[in-house]
Amino acid sequence: MSDALPAAPEAPPRTLASRISRERSARFGLITIATVVLLAGAAPIVAAITGHGPTDQYPAEALSEAGVPVGPNGDFWLGADGNGRDVLVRALYGARVSLLVGIPATTIAAVLGTAIGVVSGYFGGALDRVLSQVTDIVLSFPFVVTALSLVALNLGADGSPRISPVLLVIVVIALFAWTYVARLTRGLTLELRHRPFVEAAITLGASHRRIILREILPSVAPAVIIYWAVQLPTNIVAEATLSFLGIGVQAPTPSWGNMIADAQSTSLYQVQPWFLVVPAVGLFLTVLGFNALSSGVRNVLDPAR
Amino acid sequence: MFGVEDLHVRFGTAHAVRGVSFAVESGRTLAIVGESGSGKSVSLLAATGLLGGAGVVTGSARLGGTELVGASPGALRRLRGKDIGFVFQDPLANLHPLKTIGEQVGEAITAHERVRRTVLRRRVIELLDEVGIREPQRRVDDYPVHFSGGMRQRAMIAAAIALNPRLLIADEATTALDVTVQASILELLQRLQREHGTALVFVSHDLGVVSDIADDVVVLRAGEVVEAGPADRIYEAPEHPYTIELLSAVRRTGAARPATDRPRLLEVRNLNQRYASVTAVDDVSFDVGQGEIVGLVGESGSGKSTIGRIVSGLLRPTSGTVALEGEPYGVPVPPAIRPRIQVVFQDPYASLNPRRTIRAILTEPYAVHRRAADLDDLMRQVELDPGYLERYPAQLSGGQRQRVAIARAIALRPDLIVADEPVSSLDVTTQTQILALLRRLREELDTSFLFISHDLGVIAELCDRVLVLANGRVVENGPTTEVFDSPSNPYTRRLLDAIPGRKRGLVNV
Repeated sequence: MSDALPAAPEAPPRTLASRISRERSARFGLITIATVVLLAGAAPIVAAITGHGPTDQYPAEALSEAGVPVGPNGDFWLGADGNGRDVLVRALYGARVSLLVGIPATTIAAVLGTAIGVVSGYFGGALDRVLSQVTDIVLSFPFVVTALSLVALNLGADGSPRISPVLLVIVVIALFAWTYVARLTRGLTLELRHRPFVEAAITLGASHRRIILREILPSVAPAVIIYWAVQLPTNIVAEATLSFLGIGVQAPTPSWGNMIADAQSTSLYQVQPWFLVVPAVGLFLTVLGFNALSSGVRNVLDPAR
Repeated sequence: MFGVEDLHVRFGTAHAVRGVSFAVESGRTLAIVGESGSGKSVSLLAATGLLGGAGVVTGSARLGGTELVGASPGALRRLRGKDIGFVFQDPLANLHPLKTIGEQVGEAITAHERVRRTVLRRRVIELLDEVGIREPQRRVDDYPVHFSGGMRQRAMIAAAIALNPRLLIADEATTALDVTVQASILELLQRLQREHGTALVFVSHDLGVVSDIADDVVVLRAGEVVEAGPADRIYEAPEHPYTIELLSAVRRTGAARPATDRPRLLEVRNLNQRYASVTAVDDVSFDVGQGEIVGLVGESGSGKSTIGRIVSGLLRPTSGTVALEGEPYGVPVPPAIRPRIQVVFQDPYASLNPRRTIRAILTEPYAVHRRAADLDDLMRQVELDPGYLERYPAQLSGGQRQRVAIARAIALRPDLIVADEPVSSLDVTTQTQILALLRRLREELDTSFLFISHDLGVIAELCDRVLVLANGRVVENGPTTEVFDSPSNPYTRRLLDAIPGRKRGLVNV
């Protein structure tokens, strides 16, 4: 009987990686992100070549008698900051902090938010009402004020932090960011719940767990991945905000946020613009890269294409 | 009066319409028939300048003595509404939800004439009265949500005939409507045409619908006219193989098995479903025998899909019982019963997870119940090449997808399959193939079917017994042949009279 059936024509290749790498916007984003990551990885190499550590101060070489930092020269490639530290080396180490905070915080938020949103939307009823209320309550907390009080709570009797400030920043950002993911995935799940393909799984006798894992999550995942890429830059900026306010990554550890804060508060960027420009450009490139990647991934994952 | 000659439409490299010609005289009805993608709508949109800048149109289209192809947008705009009236498929999409019916019918007039408000209102009320809207003085200020589908389409027709156009174009104007409403709209169009001497161009995918009103028929396929001629000749002696295929696709012949004493499989007793103040299902009781195909027919809102969902175990009824071989079940369905009742949904685009391959979709029933799978064999049972297993649903046609959905439903060898409008979203030729497949599967597997449809023709072709639903109640229950030959209920009779194409003998039981 199979002879009589029209044979299936050759299917077009559909590996996700190859389609993403062929999408122009995604490729541009990937290259930009790779550059930032490579540079962050190369921080110790650059430090070794220049002989400057990220927190080493060189008041004699890098500051004029009036205390004004020098501009770019053979020794300090992108000049120095107000404390006589190497701007390039600090910016590269700062990239590490920004990515180290941004990526885990965004990932935790995405996983937590998806779990809460999908469970809430799938089971509905009282559980959904409780979880939705919790989401609304968290959303109504002011971010900066809450972060400030959490930092205050984190200080022990002797004035030193109880847990690492980097960890705290990750937790604080994740604690705020998951709500958006939860709302997004709850809405998607509510709609998917009554799609015929989910009902077909119910009539097959599939368990809730199986339906969530096999039918709901694959349909929710693309939106979450895209949202992850959209939220990552926001969360890097949130880290910068907290560091800028002095409650994030503590000096002298460099992060893009506290570098920008330094440059801004001392007004020294007026004589040594690189002090401000380098971390700002780093932040800009990272945000641009992830935004380009997410819009590319959105195009690739759209089943209509 | 209106004619198109050697019309071509190109979208980029795609040649959508290839040299189409047809003509219609005043007081006559021309039907343009073809399946989706045949170019039937595009031809008319191109001829009346409604394609916008989307395509390149060459050839000629004349209304009276006026050439329309290449005419200025301004000139075309003056013609549309005034000399050419349009009625489209979806009256809801074409009515603004926040404007009253009266305002929107009035716009058809004010777009071309300056009229005083009181005069306009009187004319709109007259028009609504003419298209059969009862109490037009009161209904004129209603919003589209207050109108039923049929009334909305009447309002659209009122707008289309407001300026007494010479040509009326109806594009799938009755496709979204219930069968009795469809019959009344067709009647209305014919009456208006008689009274005003309008030329009517009726575009449809359904040769059955067209058969009741057409004087002449043009059959389109892939942008070309394959056959054209007087309706009588086309229906009595079609010449082109494609026309013959289309006609045989809408020709329904009863295949009911003789009523024998089959052991009872499904028992539905005193089923009720209420939503707030609405009663969707009202004290419904029926049985389905072993290996029997029972049709559940009714118009939208009759409760047929609600009953289907309750029997499928997807919806908990307000009251009443459903039992399989004497064993009652509810929501969630007990694990012993669950695999024995499976479902085929209407829309194969929605019932297959777009992110999983056909292989993954068809493995699911076996994986859930830890049974050994032979997917190649399953695919052959629904007449699909196993090569399609690695595809995603988006890479299959509508008919192929519905075959996959049927394969999933039969994978667990269920005793009962609930099929909710399984062919309604398919082209007519594909419908015929799927119905043949379902009949064959019933013979081979002796599965029972609860077959839900609004289409009595489809019911006639497949079902042994038929239940007619109206307002949530069973008004008729009997062997298909008996119900079709001698309906006991006046509603059933109206439903049967409204079957398109019955006068041409397209539906025989």
